[in-house]
Amino acid sequence: MKLRSVRYLTVEGFKNIWLHRLMTLASVCVLVSCMLLMGVAVLLTYNIQASFVSVKDNNLALVFLDDKVNDNEAVEVEKKISALSNVKKTEYVSREQGAESFRESIGTMFDDLFENDSTFLPAKIKVTWKDLSKTKTEKAIEQIKNIKGVYYVNYSKGLTKVLNGIQNVINTASIWIIGLLLFTSLVIIANTIRITMAARKLEISIMKAVGATNNFIRFPFIVEGITFGLISAIISTGVLYLIYNSTIDQVRQFGFLSLIPYSSVVWYLFGGFCIIGVVAGTIGSLISISKYLRKEGSEQNAFI
Amino acid sequence: MINIKKNIDEIKNNQVLIEFKGVSKNYANGTHALNDVNIRINKGEFVFVVGASGAGKSTFIKLIMHEEKCNTGEVIVNGYRMSKIKRREVPYFRRTMGIVFQDFRLIPNMTVFGNVAFSLRVVGASSKDIRKRVAAALSMVGLGDKARCYPNELSGGEQQRVGLARALVNNPQIIIADEPTGNVDPEMSYEIVDLLTEINRRGTTVVMVTHEHQLVRDFGRRVIMLEKGRIVADNEEGAVQ
Repeated sequence: MKLRSVRYLTVEGFKNIWLHRLMTLASVCVLVSCMLLMGVAVLLTYNIQASFVSVKDNNLALVFLDDKVNDNEAVEVEKKISALSNVKKTEYVSREQGAESFRESIGTMFDDLFENDSTFLPAKIKVTWKDLSKTKTEKAIEQIKNIKGVYYVNYSKGLTKVLNGIQNVINTASIWIIGLLLFTSLVIIANTIRITMAARKLEISIMKAVGATNNFIRFPFIVEGITFGLISAIISTGVLYLIYNSTIDQVRQFGFLSLIPYSSVVWYLFGGFCIIGVVAGTIGSLISISKYLRKEGSEQNAFI
Repeated sequence: MINIKKNIDEIKNNQVLIEFKGVSKNYANGTHALNDVNIRINKGEFVFVVGASGAGKSTFIKLIMHEEKCNTGEVIVNGYRMSKIKRREVPYFRRTMGIVFQDFRLIPNMTVFGNVAFSLRVVGASSKDIRKRVAAALSMVGLGDKARCYPNELSGGEQQRVGLARALVNNPQIIIADEPTGNVDPEMSYEIVDLLTEINRRGTTVVMVTHEHQLVRDFGRRVIMLEKGRIVADNEEGAVQ
């Protein structure tokens, strides 16, 4: 196609957007609704994942040391553990500190227990993992067990598994939800455009009669589709900002929940909306004219 | 593209522009529209196709425009064999002809200029070329001063003349006019046919479908008469039936 044809058809596409403004409004509304639902799904997923990260931060393995290990040796053991690739941080708890915190947690009822010996609990090292995946944590635990001076490793195998499981379910569910919403918006937009096609099938029949190729006929519709998508992306990002920020304000009142800031995801959302909008708008337009492109002149006019 | 060039070379060496060889057309609903039609239309001819409703006139035109395909026989137009033409070649084939419709088929939201220019936009003509050729076509049909008007601001006759300008602006080999006088008053009908005659005098082949026998008699050109899908009369020499 020649450059001057591209220029002409682009202008025609924009003219059509204004000319069929009711259809533009309907298509943009459909796309915005679907994008808002998708955006909510994405934000929900992000927030759940963010809160999982903080839960996982508290997920510790406790490495108990041999009774024979003194404080200096314990520091050596801690160094070795810190050097492992999946270890985020370590914290050494001596026997005295352990006993003290145990005493604090159980209260004064068993004070007599501590009178004779305040070192009856073994020294331990608290280990926080970088990656909670089963393979990486189990590998690190095996490595820790082999370090000289380690007596026993206690870790919550179950919690890691559950957290990972829930995260996988959320990820899969959000992909499906977004996929379904994308498909829905495609179908609705194709139908919305098709409804207003009655006036345009005359144009298409004339275009075909004077020798326009199918690509020539399609081009303005693609311009329209892309524009619908981009307008919807801008509106959706803005509306979602308003909704999300007022939600953050509400949640703050409860104090115990914290949501990720909108600014941290805004560009991903906007980028995603643009891609989804352009794809849905373009494919929707193409689906709705494909039927008309197959018809010829008089067939076209009889076709409703 | 190679195929198209080959066809164009064939036309140059051939005087026959439209040829029907044993053409029959039946529709899915059981209508026998055309029955063993054999006909040749040469370059530069002006042909009226007449017949009552249901005689097969529209099918005749549709087969020429490749809106329909025949069941048996062969239709050759401008060197293109309609049975062999590929889907992607159809737009290029249609650019070799100008079509005038009974219901004008102008794009309502385009000005007269825009409607006529559209045929040239399709072939990617430059703006300068478009302005020049549209102005020439509009002045030929006597609508030079209506370029900025919209179709709904024009009378039926004027709209049909815009349709004519659109058909001839591309300098087509053939003009196919499907009852072009059907929606205009009798006086304007003569003006339209006068215009078609002028276009024909400049070398363009004209095939005009009509049911106005008086008009056909007055212009004294070749007349192909269809009845129940068969050719019942054809004065190839141009004598009035």
